[in-house]
Amino acid sequence: MTTKTKVMPTRQTVEATPMPRALQLLTIVTLVGFCFTLALGLFVAGTDIQQGEIQRIFYIHMPSFFGAFTAFGLTVVGGILYLWRKNEQWDRIAGAGVEVGLAFALINLVTGAIWARPIWNTWWTWDPRLTSAAIMALTYAAYLMLRAGIEDEARKRTFMSVYGIFAFTSVLVTLFIIRVVPETIHPVIVGASPQNAQGSFEATSGVVMALVPSLLLWLTLMPITLIWHRSRIEGRLEAVNRLKLQILSE
Amino acid sequence: MMRSLLRLLCLISILIFAGVVLAQGDEDTVPYIQLSAFNTPLLEGWENQSEDDFAQFHYAEAHATIRSALVEIGDPVAAARSDLRRAFGIELGEAIYQDKVNLADGTWNVLVYEPDAVASASVMARRAGSQSVVISFVESDPEARILMLTIAQSGDAREDAAAEIDLALSLLASNKPADLVETSALALPSGEWTRAGGAGAVGMGMVFGNDSFLAIGEGETGNLPKLADAYNRTVLGFFITPDNAGYLALALTASFAILALLILSFFWRSRNIQKDLELIESLNQAGD
Repeated sequence: MTTKTKVMPTRQTVEATPMPRALQLLTIVTLVGFCFTLALGLFVAGTDIQQGEIQRIFYIHMPSFFGAFTAFGLTVVGGILYLWRKNEQWDRIAGAGVEVGLAFALINLVTGAIWARPIWNTWWTWDPRLTSAAIMALTYAAYLMLRAGIEDEARKRTFMSVYGIFAFTSVLVTLFIIRVVPETIHPVIVGASPQNAQGSFEATSGVVMALVPSLLLWLTLMPITLIWHRSRIEGRLEAVNRLKLQILSE
Repeated sequence: MMRSLLRLLCLISILIFAGVVLAQGDEDTVPYIQLSAFNTPLLEGWENQSEDDFAQFHYAEAHATIRSALVEIGDPVAAARSDLRRAFGIELGEAIYQDKVNLADGTWNVLVYEPDAVASASVMARRAGSQSVVISFVESDPEARILMLTIAQSGDAREDAAAEIDLALSLLASNKPADLVETSALALPSGEWTRAGGAGAVGMGMVFGNDSFLAIGEGETGNLPKLADAYNRTVLGFFITPDNAGYLALALTASFAILALLILSFFWRSRNIQKDLELIESLNQAGD
């Protein structure tokens, strides 16, 4: 017969967690990369002669969606691994993925609405792509509210893992809807735009040169760095909460 | 670990780059001349006389010039007079034809002048804020009389401009042919044109939206298709790059604000954890 002893955190274990070198490096590279890709989009890429300066927001608008895609994808990975291994670390990554992904999804929605005002002459229209993106953001906002509302830790982790896995369907619908619903006015940049698309532009070499680094940054470094930071904070918070319980029970 | 991550990033970047490049459409593009104030199609085969504040193309064989300019006068008709006086030294006098048409980018004044026995000036002009856009076709071919105009189609939109060609010839031709014969349909870069005419005068027309874009010619009209196509490509292709830098600033501010809120929330939460720890420490000390 084996006995397991749960190690309760002490103040030292909560405090003495310096930022890993890899995370320090990742943070610096991400910051430098963010400034670099921003400069590419704002100063190096040419001005679109039909849309004007507002087209430059595309270098944030599209990558931010893919950043959300990565973050929500990590929520799926975290959820599956939590359900499999029951390791809280994976649940923390899943939760952090939703928080970061939702911020990126909001950036995507807000920049899209601001772009639409001068190009479509409206802030918002119930286009399939816009509607699905809004539903996606609301789905993940609901995730955070539910997560905050369930008190039983084990139940919360299991329920949110399942929720996070199924919520990813809203991301896939948003990603592919403009390729299957012809009634959209949302332009497609990679590939042929739908017939009704308004505000399309050609992916010239200048656009590609500014877009690819930005896409790469938002797809990989930004979500990974932010999720890492967020999950570390969550880890510390959980340790503090356990410490509180320990003190209260003594 | 870091080396593997770097390799993965390189691989992803190559895949993204290749994907975007391979997926680029190979649609036909129209060559444009981009000036500080506006953009207009580049007329290949014409002598480009453009400068920074106006676009101007000359076709010597037809003694014809197509000019686009943004004039600092709010009244389009006065702007047209001013621009043609400045560019060609022409005093326009009274218009022999004047009308207005509503196109996608605003209400255009359609003006046709014949300042002397040889020269004619066909002008499209519209207001653009406190300025006016003036697109003019000026020809001085002693062997030909070429006029350009746009007429809104009446009633239901039709596929060809035969009725408007007839109307334009009635209004402007010196000798309108008694029997108009629709001779051919021409496919030009600007669109599908209908050509109709008779002895002494020829008309060409292209339907775009609810309007007919027309050219009528008398005398030597061999260059009429080329001139009509070039002028109407200029009229339909002209556009001003919108000034929407304010929206870009707003979108960037909103993006930074959302990112800043997320990152600040990390700091706030870290600080709260620290405060909780201090509280626990003080409770511990009080308990001891």
